[in-house]
Amino acid sequence: MTAPAIRLRELCKTYLVPEREAGTGAALRSLFHRRMRAVAAVDGLNFDLAPGEIVGFLGPNGAGKTTTLKMLAGLLHPTAGECRVLDHVPWKRERDFLRQITLVMGQRNQLVWDIPAADSFELNRAIYRLPVADYRRTLDELTGLLDLGPLLKVPVRNLSLGERMKCEVAAALLHRPQVVFLDEPTIGLDVTMQRRIRTFIAEYNHRYGATILLTSHYMADVEALCKRVIVIHHGRLLFDGDLADLVQQFTAHKTIVVQLEDCAADLHFYGELVDCSDGRFTLRVPKAETAHVTERLLADLPVIDLLVEDPPIEEVIDRVFTQETGRENLNTTPMERGQADKKDIQGYA
Amino acid sequence: MKLLLQIRHLLNLYVQQFKTTFATMVQYRASLVIWTISAVLEPLVYLIVWSTVSNGSGGSVGSYTAQGFAAYYIALMIVNQVTYTWIMYEYEYRVRQGYLSFALLRPVHPIHADIADNLSSKLITLPLVLIVAAVLALLFHPSAGLHAWALLAFLPALVLAFLVRFLIEWTLALAAFWTTRVSALNQVYFVLMLFLSGQIAPLGLFPPWLQTVAAVLPFRWMLGFPVELLVGRLTPLQSLEGLGVQAAWLVLSLLLVRVVWRAGVRVYSAVGA
Amino acid sequence: MNFLRLFAVFFRVSLLNEAAYRVNFFVQLFQSLLELGTALAGLAVIFSYTTALGGWRPDEMLALVGVFFLVGGVISLIIQPGMSGLIDSVRDGTLDFTLTKPEDAQLLVSIQRVAVWSLLDLLMGLGVLVVALVRLGEKIGGWQAAGFLGMLLAGSVIVYSFWLILACLSFWFVRVENLLEIFRSMYEAGRWPISLYPGWLRFGLTFVVPVAFATTIPAEALTGRLGIGSLLGSLAAAMGLFALARLILRLGLRRYSGASA
Repeated sequence: MTAPAIRLRELCKTYLVPEREAGTGAALRSLFHRRMRAVAAVDGLNFDLAPGEIVGFLGPNGAGKTTTLKMLAGLLHPTAGECRVLDHVPWKRERDFLRQITLVMGQRNQLVWDIPAADSFELNRAIYRLPVADYRRTLDELTGLLDLGPLLKVPVRNLSLGERMKCEVAAALLHRPQVVFLDEPTIGLDVTMQRRIRTFIAEYNHRYGATILLTSHYMADVEALCKRVIVIHHGRLLFDGDLADLVQQFTAHKTIVVQLEDCAADLHFYGELVDCSDGRFTLRVPKAETAHVTERLLADLPVIDLLVEDPPIEEVIDRVFTQETGRENLNTTPMERGQADKKDIQGYA
Repeated sequence: MKLLLQIRHLLNLYVQQFKTTFATMVQYRASLVIWTISAVLEPLVYLIVWSTVSNGSGGSVGSYTAQGFAAYYIALMIVNQVTYTWIMYEYEYRVRQGYLSFALLRPVHPIHADIADNLSSKLITLPLVLIVAAVLALLFHPSAGLHAWALLAFLPALVLAFLVRFLIEWTLALAAFWTTRVSALNQVYFVLMLFLSGQIAPLGLFPPWLQTVAAVLPFRWMLGFPVELLVGRLTPLQSLEGLGVQAAWLVLSLLLVRVVWRAGVRVYSAVGA
Repeated sequence: MNFLRLFAVFFRVSLLNEAAYRVNFFVQLFQSLLELGTALAGLAVIFSYTTALGGWRPDEMLALVGVFFLVGGVISLIIQPGMSGLIDSVRDGTLDFTLTKPEDAQLLVSIQRVAVWSLLDLLMGLGVLVVALVRLGEKIGGWQAAGFLGMLLAGSVIVYSFWLILACLSFWFVRVENLLEIFRSMYEAGRWPISLYPGWLRFGLTFVVPVAFATTIPAEALTGRLGIGSLLGSLAAAMGLFALARLILRLGLRRYSGASA
């Protein structure tokens, strides 16, 4: 078995955050004594990535995705634990290591603003010391794959957001890195452009066998590209496996919400009881049996109201978070929770 | 009656602007230090250079001894601190960022807010400069002929100098309406100021023809004249004449402001905010 | 050498960028010439009243003006743009991109931005210097010339290191840009020989803000005023300050990347 391209063992990153109460008194006191709170952005991550895998890194805002990515790229020093990328210790920032990786950040540009993208590419060629022939070949291929032709001569500031992103991605891949870190590459892009970028990433991975770690809010990114997903929340690993398994695990079931007089009835016979409050039962039922169970419930019990839900994928993820961390919010239905998170997920089409 | 009300409103505006500027200044303490350093360093350097020349030329240059130069340049430092503006940079910034629309929407002429901002900043920096001036006085032993009448005349001269300088530099600042190359224009202005307002050398040291030129142009009346008055280099008659010239320039610059502002607004609205 | 190769690339890119704005070139030309004219006119005024300023003759003062513009040009050309670029990139996080590149971070941040038209100031300074040298002609020996070049280099290194240290403060404090401005204001005092100034000001302009190393000391070397002690001292200061600046940058980067102190 080949060595993993990326390996993490109990990787931790803790920040010290100054803590202060409101008010002038507290403000003055803070001049002399600052109270610090330790925030674990990443809390003991373990996983391996084989060469050539595309893996989706999922989690809500503040889950620790970007922090992990930065540690893998050598930009942050871990507080504890170990990580190796291509058998290098990232934060040592060895030249050999840096030549084989690349980082694309959806919210920040590395292209020089006022000049055509082609000139920024030349800069990268000089920095990475790419032989002219190799550089031209790679550039031609990237131009073809990303359809960059007319964009290269235009000053970057005159490009649209999507066009700029394509050029950013190209600039980041000119040196044919073995490991590609993508931090929300499709954020803020329109649906067509998102699809374009996704297709490109898949094609790039297919052609060059680069290991790709991608973070995103958009389930569509992950669905399109990643067979394997890693879900983290509060800096901890919640799920690491095939996306199909993740989906299967949570949508092999449906949710039936039954409103009865009170919680006295015993419904465990019909399906897995998730909870009950005020006569409102939430049951999890295997998909196949949904119709049957519904029929039985309606026939057997004095049902005041009945609801059958099919959780959307964001909801699936949310379930992973709330159920696995045991912090289920009992005051909202899973559907309401799903809706609330939809607002949080930016740009959900 | 209405005039009184207008004055009250204007005064209120100034007070409010003071408060705002004060609060902002406290935030940007560092830029204060920088401005103060430049404001102090330039006259100090010329003081030293001319003192050196004076000492190497048998004790004096023209009617200025090293101590005379010291008095002159320390006074210059103070007068400059009272009369200087940064309004050209301000307007270039506003035009670039598109903030001018706000000024144009106000029912009051924007110059009032600008004057208020300028003066309120100086409330903080002037004491600093006065302290530095006092220290420099201890170090360089200035000597000047101070007369009571001159000190009395100094105050109106200073106020007039401030007004003339502010109005003219404010008009210049409006060039931002027409071009983005204001830095080149500003530079020309600063060079003229440097030579013709008594900064690079007291105007009394210039050849007569150049002194006439300086007397005709406004620069001397913005800076050099109050300085010369304060350190006792002018006769009462010259001082009185000077005040008259300042008053004339005040009228001229008020007219200039009016004309250029109107033209500027027209240009600005034509181009679009 | 790698540095020259990379610098050529960055320079070319900046030039291409600016070439699109021809007007800027002419505006800069006008401004630079105006500045030179002002400096020369100032000298003319002073020397209409004396034959020597604190022992400096007109041609020697001319050389000082040349050095002032030359080093000022170097500062405007690379040092200032690079260092304010560093401060910006620390603030908005684009420093991350620099850090993922397989090149020395100090090298990249130092040459990443080039204000191409400041080349005019540099060339102007060079021109004035050449004129001054011609007029001083026979009085310059080989050793003096070597000392001058050495001091010019040392001065540039000292100014660069000083700016780098100031810029690195942005790893620990905010709103450091203003500090850079302080140098700019104090640099004006370098138009005149530092030897004219009283002790405390001389001290400030040498050891607090190293203006003297940038202007007066190379000019003193050229005009035979610089003792061997000061010469060696300047070289030592250049090396020491460069090492210190590099160390502080490394500390700053460690802080930026959250390494344990």
